[in-house]
Amino acid sequence: MNIAVLLKQVPDTTAKITISNGKVDENSVSKWSMSPYDEYALESGLKMKEATGGNLIAITCGPERTKKMLTDAAAVGADTLIHISEDKVLDSTQVQNLLATVINNNEIEVVLCGKQAADTNSGSTGPGVAELLDAACVTMVSEVSFSGNSFISVRPSNTGTEKVSTSGISVFTFDKGLSELRRPNVRGIMMAKKKVIETIKPEELGLGGDSDRIILQTQNSPAEKEPGQIFEGVGEIPTIVSKLRNEANVI
Amino acid sequence: MKFTIIAEMNGDLLHPTTYQLIGAISEIGSESIVICPNGKGSSEASKIKGVEKIISVNGDCFDLFDGSAWASVINSVCEGTIVASASPNGREIGAIIAAKRGIPIIQDVVAISSEITVTRPIYSGKATETLKINGDSVITLRPNAFESAEVGNDAPISIVDQTSDVRVAVIEAINKASERLDVTEADIIISGGRGMGSIDNFSHLESMADTLGAAVGASRAVVDEWGMPHRMQVGQTGKTVSPSLYIAVGISGAIQHLAGMRSSKYIVAINKDPDAPIFTVADYGIVASWEEALPILKSELMKLS
Amino acid sequence: MRNMDYEALDFYEVDSLLSDEERMVRDMVRDWVDEEVIPNIENACREGIFPDEWRVALGEMGVLGAPLKGYDCPGLSYTAYGVICRELERGDSGLRSFASVQGSLAMYPIWDFGSEEQKMHYLPKMASGEWIGCFGLTEPDYGSNPGDMITKAEEMGDHYILNGAKMWITNGTIADLAVVWAKLDGVIRGFIVEKNDPGFSAPEMKGKHSLKASVTSELVFQDCKIPKDRILPGVKGLRGPFSCLNNARFGISWGAIGAAQACFYSAKDYALSRIQFDHPIASYQLVQNKLSWMLREITKAQLLAYHLGQKKDDGQWIPEHISLAKMNNVDIALEIARVARDIHGANGILDEYPVMRHMANLESVKTYEGTHDIHNLILGRHITGIQSFTREI
Repeated sequence: MNIAVLLKQVPDTTAKITISNGKVDENSVSKWSMSPYDEYALESGLKMKEATGGNLIAITCGPERTKKMLTDAAAVGADTLIHISEDKVLDSTQVQNLLATVINNNEIEVVLCGKQAADTNSGSTGPGVAELLDAACVTMVSEVSFSGNSFISVRPSNTGTEKVSTSGISVFTFDKGLSELRRPNVRGIMMAKKKVIETIKPEELGLGGDSDRIILQTQNSPAEKEPGQIFEGVGEIPTIVSKLRNEANVI
Repeated sequence: MKFTIIAEMNGDLLHPTTYQLIGAISEIGSESIVICPNGKGSSEASKIKGVEKIISVNGDCFDLFDGSAWASVINSVCEGTIVASASPNGREIGAIIAAKRGIPIIQDVVAISSEITVTRPIYSGKATETLKINGDSVITLRPNAFESAEVGNDAPISIVDQTSDVRVAVIEAINKASERLDVTEADIIISGGRGMGSIDNFSHLESMADTLGAAVGASRAVVDEWGMPHRMQVGQTGKTVSPSLYIAVGISGAIQHLAGMRSSKYIVAINKDPDAPIFTVADYGIVASWEEALPILKSELMKLS
Repeated sequence: MRNMDYEALDFYEVDSLLSDEERMVRDMVRDWVDEEVIPNIENACREGIFPDEWRVALGEMGVLGAPLKGYDCPGLSYTAYGVICRELERGDSGLRSFASVQGSLAMYPIWDFGSEEQKMHYLPKMASGEWIGCFGLTEPDYGSNPGDMITKAEEMGDHYILNGAKMWITNGTIADLAVVWAKLDGVIRGFIVEKNDPGFSAPEMKGKHSLKASVTSELVFQDCKIPKDRILPGVKGLRGPFSCLNNARFGISWGAIGAAQACFYSAKDYALSRIQFDHPIASYQLVQNKLSWMLREITKAQLLAYHLGQKKDDGQWIPEHISLAKMNNVDIALEIARVARDIHGANGILDEYPVMRHMANLESVKTYEGTHDIHNLILGRHITGIQSFTREI
């Protein structure tokens, strides 16, 4: 079985983000990592590969630095590595088209990815790619397995969780999974070093080019918080709650 | 530019965010078509200012949420730029419709200006970006980031009967006893310290946590002295957390505790000692006893939901 | 999801000189230390135990005997071995001691001086962590002067009988086998003693203030009988144990940097958080002086270790090169730990912070594997051609 795992490289969630000249300064990002929810997708893919004897294909779309993430995926067991080489920031239709095209070219039976990437926190890629593949899609799963002819996954429901089943090509987007991504070991690292990464340029697929529909205007630091305020007594609690909801948006 | 809003539901009623979706589009000078899945909420929605007309889509597939089926039906009556709530359902339907129509989607928008430019947080809120959108798109709006539209309208309602195949079959419901979130996973944490008085009083924090969908944390003192589980400990020798909101109750704020939570986005502190160091890092500090403050805080929070 | 805050000081970006593979190994060990060691080390230290899970994890990661090739051993570069030691010692020197002893002092002599049968029998299981090894050279009365050791082996037909005692042996009590150096007809030879060999015992040494999360033992041989095939055929004399020590010392020169980095990170973080007289103590000049000195010494130590790693991998090294790095890097690490403790004030004496644990550990690291003073004299002899270890010149 060919299992595709879509991976995105993002600034590590502990990295500081600095703005210069109205744009996020990517060069100052101290550490790039695999997006955390993608790690759960990868771990699930590795388990599925072990259970079905399949072939795990790790795919990413991004600049040269994303190759390292693919090598890290190989160190834990990814078999095939595909790098769609693109320096520009693409819009959702472009990314999804590229991924769907590569998936279609590789006879994939199941696609796994994180429920949302840690940079945009959007969550559009999974359902969008599923639509382009005419695949079933289940979002926010914690586990996926293959049994008989169908994929069985577990996702949240109104009362807790539920088991659902899909058949045919399916896309699953991962929330926190049952297990953390496994650690590599030295053998895996040595073998990953030898693995060739297949690089594809969007032009080769008849795609690519700047998005003419989403134009970035500026990127900014978040609005400065007000300095801390201390209130005597409980009288201001309603105001505080209202600020937390409407200004801070944290509840 | 035309706008189609996908109404967000809360059971059989319109979710309050639907008012915000309509209000947001009104703010940039437009009326919108509002689609009500399964007809629910259509008469309520027709009374909201800023609504040009209501399309009530009825079909078997709307009995339960299914992203693909709902998107398929809703897509057939959408036009222009499509607006949904950035809820889990809204995001999924939005993404599918965007792919069907070959238009881009921008999720979790917190500000819009005319024709149209949107702002959204990126890198989990460490930055924001403003994007100009050319042509039609799908946008999902963050709940509570926009003003609600007011009532005072009588928009026409048309009914469309359509259904679509559901490709995801539910085979088993697993009703898990709801486990409280771990401090490392939660977006909101309520922590208690020695000021809580006794381990029994933590039940007040637990009930507050249930209201908020939060995790409960503890300072080292209460873990060491009262035997709270170590996994709840926040601080130098416990967990380091960075939730969106950290509420510290009866915690003085010794340097070891601060080390574990000072990178929280917003910090609220409740302590009856005005000199407690926790107030140096709090965004909102309440000098009061927890016995007095917590019930009021809880009732204010309950009013929101 | 891993979400750790630790930042390893690397002011001159020396790690950018590592190969991709060396960096991946670094990240693998660093992540494991963050997740499994840091949350548990203070408790292990209080209880005075080396958690067995760490042995298992080191075996699974495949880092034991890092630079050895063949026999299921990792076959990494010496630089990678150094990086592993550094990342382990950032956690705790006792943890790194386990790996140093296993790889450089127990696996290495079998790999370099053992028979083919011995290599095939012992090395794969030691690489996987299934069997633990230890190294018996030091004796109660013979530390800096191992050449005059009194542990003796006598040949008795189809076996050897060993008599004597070794002391300060890391892993001894938990080891499955010991590589023991003893005099056979007055010549130092290496022997493999297994834990169940008759006449062998390995009591643990208790009451340590240092390396508490490490097992330190005596090895006692009372007419200990071992089969003939346990002698290491490939070496005679002190060259045997000294070859092992060179490798271990190399790892320690990197390891000490890890301890220093941990102390620096804690001191910097503490100084920025601790408010006194209304300002963080990091804003005061004396504190900045201390942090700046630490940065200077760590950077120098990193360059020393990195270049030594290159020479080791190129084969262009002499033991004195290693003496310099071990001596310098451990010395400055100990000083950095002390100054870091000072910056932490009273809080620095609690095991809430790692600094005093590192400080106590580094006292041992400064003494073992050749004391600071001995390495000093090794360099003195190299410079002048005159040995000054003993009274007789």
